[in-house]
Amino acid sequence: MDLFLQQLSNGLVIGSTYAVVAVGFALAFTVLRVIQFAHPDVFMIGMFTGMVAAGFVPGGGLAVALLGGAVGSTAIGAIIERTVVAPLRGRDVLTTLIATLGVSVILQNGMAVIVGPDPIPYPRLLPARFYEIGPVLLTLRQMFCLGLCALLLVLASLYVRRTHIGRATRAIAERPDVAAAFGVDVRRVCQITFWLASTMAGLAAVAVGSLYGSASAFVGLLYGLKAFICMLVAGNRYFEAVIAVGLALGVLEALVTGYVSSSLRDAVAFFVLIGVLYLRPNGLFGSYAT
Amino acid sequence: MSALLKIEGLAVSYGSVPAVDGVSLEIEPGELRVILGANGAGKTTIIKTIMGLLKPRSGTIRFDGESDLLRLRPHQIHQLGIAWVPEARQLWNTMTVLDNLRMGAFEVRDKAMVERRIGEMFERFPRLAERRHQLAGSLSGGEQQMVAIARALVSNPRLLLMDEPSLGLAPIVVRDVFALAQEINTMGIAVLMVEQNARQSLKVAHFAYLLELGRVVEAGPAAEIAGKKSVQDVFLGGSA
Repeated sequence: MDLFLQQLSNGLVIGSTYAVVAVGFALAFTVLRVIQFAHPDVFMIGMFTGMVAAGFVPGGGLAVALLGGAVGSTAIGAIIERTVVAPLRGRDVLTTLIATLGVSVILQNGMAVIVGPDPIPYPRLLPARFYEIGPVLLTLRQMFCLGLCALLLVLASLYVRRTHIGRATRAIAERPDVAAAFGVDVRRVCQITFWLASTMAGLAAVAVGSLYGSASAFVGLLYGLKAFICMLVAGNRYFEAVIAVGLALGVLEALVTGYVSSSLRDAVAFFVLIGVLYLRPNGLFGSYAT
Repeated sequence: MSALLKIEGLAVSYGSVPAVDGVSLEIEPGELRVILGANGAGKTTIIKTIMGLLKPRSGTIRFDGESDLLRLRPHQIHQLGIAWVPEARQLWNTMTVLDNLRMGAFEVRDKAMVERRIGEMFERFPRLAERRHQLAGSLSGGEQQMVAIARALVSNPRLLLMDEPSLGLAPIVVRDVFALAQEINTMGIAVLMVEQNARQSLKVAHFAYLLELGRVVEAGPAAEIAGKKSVQDVFLGGSA
């Protein structure tokens, strides 16, 4: 039982980071009709700009790293939107997919040229402290990561449900033409959506870097794949469904690690994907028609 | 009186297939005009082109004597005072009735004004007031059509485009919808409707166009059009 609770907690920490990246994917796909394959690399860029910012400002620590991560990821997201996504607006989904895949390759290998192909140590930003909560042992870094991601996810959900412009993002997701015809500047809202997804990714990336104590130019490869799978498994109709699947995937991986074998961990997402696509091709919670 | 909306020589194609081929038509302030045509005649294409959702091959669309609609994007056209009741309603099914109405005046900054207009809609359509927190997708066809019309009216438009408002509705509801179009029109809002239901729409319209394969083949006062043999043959022969 103790192992179960421990792995459940570890899983929620990792799952919350999957959820943040997956929600970014889902926003880009449902609102802009773009499979943003460079989104995990926006996350990666945020991780490194956060690290650089923390290194440049003595004693700045966590706050500066978060700010640096957010600024870096938002900037790179805005550049991608402006130079790749916006010019291809209205094209086939495959066209933008190939374009963002190209951006992904450039970002990963460009960063590998700068920092090298192997993982490098990441500043820990928070002290190595442990907390016992009942039978569960959590580090301060884990708690911070979970707290930050939970906050981001709650804010994202409030944004699309409760705010004026968030309502427009849902309106575009379901019926872009009708939204435009009722006064929504679709290009503008798409742009803002893209920026916000990038900002979220950058903030989460700093927490992840600090959690693992390492950063790699290729962190986006597996991370992005898992987040992408979360979106496919959940379907894109409800953002909350994507969040739930992200958390569930983290927990499932942690349980497999704890009870079966850690070498099976990365296969879990693919088993789940194959099973869900076989039984419910539109995802567990349904998708918008495209 | 000068025309509120004036379309001249409009031609729209889907790829190389012409859908609208040299259509000219207009509507004056306070009028209710109907464009009659069968499936594939190009009715919806005209409406979507006015709304800025399709780009024509040639032609001009002027609103209020001045604005060249072809240079504007859909949200800007809406801001000029043109609202749309789309074919098959096209509500945001995953949003509540209330949120659908709020989205009807997205760009209006004065929130109090929007809420007041929504209040007026709920007064006019008490059924919608009861269902304001239900998802629009869960409503009946007739109720959904009321939401679609109310959504278009929230922005207080000068011109209302109604794309086959009777489509897929029970006959008794169809009558209500045409009566409502007339009521909206008497409030001073110009209504440009496209329809297949000639009998009912000609009763409420002032002026009618007959569209065939993307061209206007007849145009005249509604009573006159209703008497034309071609119209009776195509639309009124034996149909309800």
